[in-house]
Amino acid sequence: MNLLRAELRRVLATRMWGGLLLAAVALGGGLVGLMALVGPENFDPPMPGLHTEEGLRSILGILGFTAFVPAAAGALAATSEYRHGTAAVTFMFAPRRGRVLAAKLATHAIVGLGYGIALAGSAAVALFTVAALRGVSLGMPAPTVLALLARIGVAMAVYLLVGTGVGALLRNQVAAVCVVVGYLYLAEPVLMMIPGVNALYPLLPGGATAALTDFTYVADAMSAQLGNDAVALLPPAAGALLLTGYALAAAAIAVVVPMRRDIT
Amino acid sequence: MTGDHLPIEASGLTKRYGDVTAVRDLTFTVRPGAVTGFLGPNGAGKTTTLRMLTGLVTPTSGTATIGGQPYGRLAQPSRTVGAVFDGNAFHPGHTARDHLGLYAAMAGCPDSRVAELLDLLGLAHAADRRTRGFSTGMRQRLSLATALLGDPRVLLLDEPSNGLDPEGMSWLRGLLRRLADEGRTVLVSSHVLHEVQQVVDDVVVIRRGELVAAGPWSRLTGPPTVLVTSPDADPLASALTAAAGSVEAAGPGRLRVRGLDAPRVADLAADHRLRIHELVTETTSLEQLFLDLTTDPAEAR
Repeated sequence: MNLLRAELRRVLATRMWGGLLLAAVALGGGLVGLMALVGPENFDPPMPGLHTEEGLRSILGILGFTAFVPAAAGALAATSEYRHGTAAVTFMFAPRRGRVLAAKLATHAIVGLGYGIALAGSAAVALFTVAALRGVSLGMPAPTVLALLARIGVAMAVYLLVGTGVGALLRNQVAAVCVVVGYLYLAEPVLMMIPGVNALYPLLPGGATAALTDFTYVADAMSAQLGNDAVALLPPAAGALLLTGYALAAAAIAVVVPMRRDIT
Repeated sequence: MTGDHLPIEASGLTKRYGDVTAVRDLTFTVRPGAVTGFLGPNGAGKTTTLRMLTGLVTPTSGTATIGGQPYGRLAQPSRTVGAVFDGNAFHPGHTARDHLGLYAAMAGCPDSRVAELLDLLGLAHAADRRTRGFSTGMRQRLSLATALLGDPRVLLLDEPSNGLDPEGMSWLRGLLRRLADEGRTVLVSSHVLHEVQQVVDDVVVIRRGELVAAGPWSRLTGPPTVLVTSPDADPLASALTAAAGSVEAAGPGRLRVRGLDAPRVADLAADHRLRIHELVTETTSLEQLFLDLTTDPAEAR
């Protein structure tokens, strides 16, 4: 309990915490609000409007592509102790490292959920407000929209933990953030384009997130453009299961890898 | 734990990194109630050893215990051992109070302990400043404050003088003396002997990861010798030897005498009506001893 309190203090005392909340609201409320205000039907190329289920899923699904933000935050937080040399102090205060690593993981999960709630909550507020202002009736009932947003919120927490796992593995802050952002921002979309390899996409974190929100717009557009066969995403439940698997794997790495490693 | 006297014991401690043996079969004891200098040139394996004592580095073989327990099995590690490895281990965005507060929470200390240490280390005025703006001296003090949070019975300091000004160093020596006099175990590493020689009671000297010498300073340096310059060196040598001194020639007209102090040598010379031109008491220079102990014969050539 002391350890959890200490780790929460560690996070809350930095400015990252506030910055992360701000990013969540900017991306959730700001981005969704802006897209809803402009209307997907006015995008270039045009997408189906908010009054259709497809249009609604698309603008919410785009939120899935902002997952590199919590992932980078997780990688930053997990490597911070190595970068600033406090890992030695922390492991001296808690030589049974498993406990402090678990406390860190719990803290990161709390921060990730906080981020997800802020992102999804502000997106919901923005979406319903703009729809009311524009007099558009949304293409899905409100409970379905909220459930979709809740899934996105949870997915964000998963990404934060994935970042934590990568950070624990690499320890070098710059490397960890580059790997996480580079993978989510560049590598995954590129993999999506390569014929053959793109069959793996549904099994990658991005594919699982897209499955979770049933968001196929980008994958379909890419396949259409490249003339590939459309990539079939997993059903939402399988996507959720897969994402949980990634979160657990990342959590295991974050706790097990630093357990016996020498701190020099 | 207050009142406990906890020795540090290393036994056959060895650490290999691939082909490189950083520490080899190191065995020594550090007693409570004394300041022990852990000396050796840079790269001798001091830091690796200290990290093995505190469980940060796992030994390849051998054991290290604090009061008979391996560090990882101590019931209250931060209340038993405090250590400073790197006088710069803070998140730059944390204030001094944030930093101490989070480790106080980890150690289960009340927040009042944080204020106490900020006062003790003269950091109260900077308590709410972010550590990125701290001077080297302030960083050293904050590191020390972190180590002292749990009021530990054992204190380990790795090269604490790095970045401390002479005033800060003198203050630190005073603190270490006080902590040792309270019965605590204090181990201080350094590669610069004169920074610690004024305060250490015992030394452990290593070179290339191996033990070179260990024990109380006085035993290592031995009794003082007396250097006599006299035009009557030969009869003086006989007189001193007759008085149970051990005498060796130290150049023309000079004798090095062991086992007799300077007044006794002067009195003997007067008794025998022999002339003395110079009389010097030599305490073995600690610096010289340190150099002798740590200089590699192969490198010295």
